[in-house]
Amino acid sequence: MNKFVQLSADIGKLWTNYSSGYLGGIRNTLILALIGTVIGCLIGFVCGVLNTIPHEKNDPPFKRFFLCLIRVIVRVYVEVFRGTPMVLQAVFLYYGLPYFTNNTVKWGSVWAAAIFVVSINTGAYMAESVRGGIISIDPGQTEGAKAIGMNHVQTMTSVILPQALRNIMPQIGNNFIINVKDTSVMFIIGFPDFFAAHRAAVGATYLYFPSATVEMAGYLTMTLIASFLLRYVEKRLDGDSSYELAEADMLTMPAGTYKHPDKGTPFDERSREYKEEE
Amino acid sequence: MGEMILQVSHLSKSFGSNTVLRDIDFTVEKGDVTSIIGASGSGKSTLLRCINLLETPTGGEIRYHDRLVNGRGVNASEYRSHVGMVFQSFNLFNNMTVLENCIVGQVKVLKKKKEEARENALSYLDRVGMAPYINARPRQISGGQKQRVAIARALAMGPEVLLFDEPTSALDPEMVGEVLNVMQSLAQDGMTMLVVTHEMAFARDVSSQVVYMNGGVICEQGTPQEIFGNPQKPETREFLSRFRENKV
Repeated sequence: MNKFVQLSADIGKLWTNYSSGYLGGIRNTLILALIGTVIGCLIGFVCGVLNTIPHEKNDPPFKRFFLCLIRVIVRVYVEVFRGTPMVLQAVFLYYGLPYFTNNTVKWGSVWAAAIFVVSINTGAYMAESVRGGIISIDPGQTEGAKAIGMNHVQTMTSVILPQALRNIMPQIGNNFIINVKDTSVMFIIGFPDFFAAHRAAVGATYLYFPSATVEMAGYLTMTLIASFLLRYVEKRLDGDSSYELAEADMLTMPAGTYKHPDKGTPFDERSREYKEEE
Repeated sequence: MGEMILQVSHLSKSFGSNTVLRDIDFTVEKGDVTSIIGASGSGKSTLLRCINLLETPTGGEIRYHDRLVNGRGVNASEYRSHVGMVFQSFNLFNNMTVLENCIVGQVKVLKKKKEEARENALSYLDRVGMAPYINARPRQISGGQKQRVAIARALAMGPEVLLFDEPTSALDPEMVGEVLNVMQSLAQDGMTMLVVTHEMAFARDVSSQVVYMNGGVICEQGTPQEIFGNPQKPETREFLSRFRENKV
């Protein structure tokens, strides 16, 4: 029992001295995870859309070659960044750029490097999720859109992606939560995240276990809030479960003027001819 | 004689080694209501899907106002916006409300102003009797209602021809009537329509031209009086007698 008393005392000590470090770390972790997930999702969406452009046998050879090339590039990107540890990617890219350019080009800040690595890593995972999300949508939706004259981009942005987005929301949530935790490896390039705050605190105090307790509680709090928010967003995306019947005549202008596009034509259901037909 | 809208000549379609359509010839003139009848698997739906370029024909020509549409370098999207299509499975956009379903094509494809598109959509929804449901989502309305919205969506694009691919086959019997009524009133208003259907009463009473398909070819075509009153081919007679036994 007195171990717990000691633990709370140690945590209190850590908190009085390093609270700004922990809180700043939490802030940086959340910002990095959020930006990384958002950019990563955008990358994933672009890759997913590029990967699902339909191509037919009688397309011009140039178009077919170009589409094949895109698929190969996306595939290589996905396999490389999904198949290597993020901690190594961070080191590789952070030190690789100055190495190859003889220090003439460097990362402007550790933030830019960290956001780049997290985004590109998330993008590699999301590319496959988005592709799955797109092919899970009933082909009838595409046909419906094509039948009213939409092109591929319009079909994607207005019809398929909004529905695919709903289907992959759980995946986006997954990636965000993974990012909240996995950005902890960014300490390797000196990024001041929540885990870096732990390293700073224990470096001075050697209170490994109490600081780890603070970290555990901190990370768990962040991820729990994130899952809660994601559920809420999913519910919002589903739309209302009920709907209002439009009782009033929607074609009546609020100003009281009456305008009817089919006035005078047989389509005007208020004309006498129309009534007789019925 | 009306103005020629669609002209299909020597159209063929095969999926691999399976030939589904062979040497199909027919024309659609302005104001025509053409019913395509025939047994399942005779190629009716494939023909309709070829006309809308949802399937690429393997041979032959489709001309829209004398313009070849199934060649290379043809803007299929532009052509499709003149040729509306109503599907057996409705294919309403699940992420939009009824009203948005009827607006999106006008705004994105026809580049109409939102206000104008909305008014136009409302007038067509009103016409199919779906105006009260503009805020509902496709999953919240019945099959017959969905199909009526799908018709309004196609009409809102101001198409010159409407293609119906078995519009009532996925509906419960009591909902078939509401959709057929809408189609019949469209026909009376002079809409040019091409209808793949199993509703023989509709083909007989509403259409001006009937095409009977059998085994991927047009077996017989003519006016409803000719096809239903005095069929020439034994296949047609047999097909129609099967329907008579079931009391259409």
